[in-house]
Amino acid sequence: MTGRAPFYRTWPMWLIIGATISFLYMPLVPALLLSVRGEGAEDFTFRWFYELWHIPLVLKALRATAMIALLVGLIAPILGLLAALSIRELRLPRLILLIMLLPLFIPGVSMGLACAFLFRLLDVPPSLLTITIVQVLWALPFATLIILTIMSTVDPVYLEAAYLSGASRWRAFCDIELPLIAPGVFGAISFSVIISVNETVRTSVVQGAWNTIPTYIWSTYKQIGLSPALYALMALVILLTVALAGFYLLLNRPKRPAKVPAITQASEM
Amino acid sequence: MQWARRAWPRVTRAGLLSLPVIFVLAFLVLPLCLTIVISFWERVGMKFRPALSLASYAAIIEGARLQVLQRSMIVAVEATALSLLIAYPIAYFLARKAQPHAARVVLVLFTIPFLINYIVRNVAWTSLLGRNGTINDILSAFGLIDAPLDWLLYSDFAVFVGLISSYMPFMIFPLVLSIGAIDKQYLEASALLGARPATTFLRIVIPLSLPGIFAALIFGFVGSFGESAVPIIMGGVGYELVGNTITSSMDVLNYPLAAALSSIVVIIMLLLMLSWYFIFDMRAFLGKVLQWRGS
Repeated sequence: MTGRAPFYRTWPMWLIIGATISFLYMPLVPALLLSVRGEGAEDFTFRWFYELWHIPLVLKALRATAMIALLVGLIAPILGLLAALSIRELRLPRLILLIMLLPLFIPGVSMGLACAFLFRLLDVPPSLLTITIVQVLWALPFATLIILTIMSTVDPVYLEAAYLSGASRWRAFCDIELPLIAPGVFGAISFSVIISVNETVRTSVVQGAWNTIPTYIWSTYKQIGLSPALYALMALVILLTVALAGFYLLLNRPKRPAKVPAITQASEM
Repeated sequence: MQWARRAWPRVTRAGLLSLPVIFVLAFLVLPLCLTIVISFWERVGMKFRPALSLASYAAIIEGARLQVLQRSMIVAVEATALSLLIAYPIAYFLARKAQPHAARVVLVLFTIPFLINYIVRNVAWTSLLGRNGTINDILSAFGLIDAPLDWLLYSDFAVFVGLISSYMPFMIFPLVLSIGAIDKQYLEASALLGARPATTFLRIVIPLSLPGIFAALIFGFVGSFGESAVPIIMGGVGYELVGNTITSSMDVLNYPLAAALSSIVVIIMLLLMLSWYFIFDMRAFLGKVLQWRGS
């Protein structure tokens, strides 16, 4: 009863999984369809996408989003890497992990509000920097977990061999460990960028006069409602996220059993 | 000089390694403490100033906001429980029954919608669920309904759809990790001793996956209880949960009130998180991911 069941006996469960996945993907379909639907005679148009290029606020938000995504994609993986290392190297690893996971347990509004209070008391005006800090905070637990996962698949024997050959900790890290965990680092980079491009609630509290693409969508929806151009923007967000996720998967393709991520590895035990 | 040259790398190393912890302490723990402090401040016109006042908490207890807190709690518990009922069988199946590569593909499919901006997903739901939405169109095209159903959107139903589709995918991962980490030998032993599959599931699998269940419940609850956008998009005008009550207090610049509501939410979350931390070993949740020093 504990073995893997053949497909013909498990189809009811696959049906349930298929239904659940359809439920999750269903809302994406009308957004994509409505973004290319024309008015009146024409059935199909990319007009709304062109129109986006003529909205100055959208262009400004696009630039801000790209800039912030770049910064978050740079800072969060570095901090995540350091966090994963500190969990292994420093004392009190459980406590460090708990602190690193803390952002997952704080609701978005509360996190945004708390940071807004801090920036206000420190007299830091809302800027790309304040948005970046909040987004790094939110991306950090994910980046840390991804790098920790890959780190745990590296056999410590390699590092011990490096130490025995006279390498310093730094040298052993750069020459041995970093190349081995590189897929995890790239995974953390793409995850951080995806999180940055999609974050809304936390950003909208600390952004001040700035806007990112998601906060622009959110405030436009609240003030004006839905429009074809907004659907086009939503379609862009969906496509960009799927593309980035595909990039992440491409980097983390399992090549040998040793590199399979811990999720499937754990399930094989 | 010699001493300095030897000590310097050690200091840099400790400094670098503690950087992430310092970052979280400075930009999250300290600000959360600040939120609690500000919740006791006074509101003077459009500004707020330091004080030791319980006015914000009094406003919560006396006004309709206590009911909002209560309702948020009930909605969050119900949405989380429903999500668990959907997520657990799927996670069990993926971790124990499905072929590993098929399980991996399914997990990826669950990840992608979770990553897509949830405002976009929820806004897109409105075009499916509205009075003139796709679902009503399809139902009336088949003659199943005479008039469009108006409980599909701006209702409890819609809020549940929004909450479950936003946070249920997130709950599958800790469940898969902890169910997958259960030693197969326990299950085999149970079967060899004559237990039926259902008994093994109830008395071995569920108890051993409790750390994952609890983690999943926390993730679902944190998301649903503090949610500020779903009630606005899916609940419509006047649908108040604590999350959008906080944002609307900020909109009218009543920061002490927003801080007080936020503090209540955060303290509930921290209590949940700490109980998880002290009851369960995180290794049981994260499996082999963690290699504690010296163990």
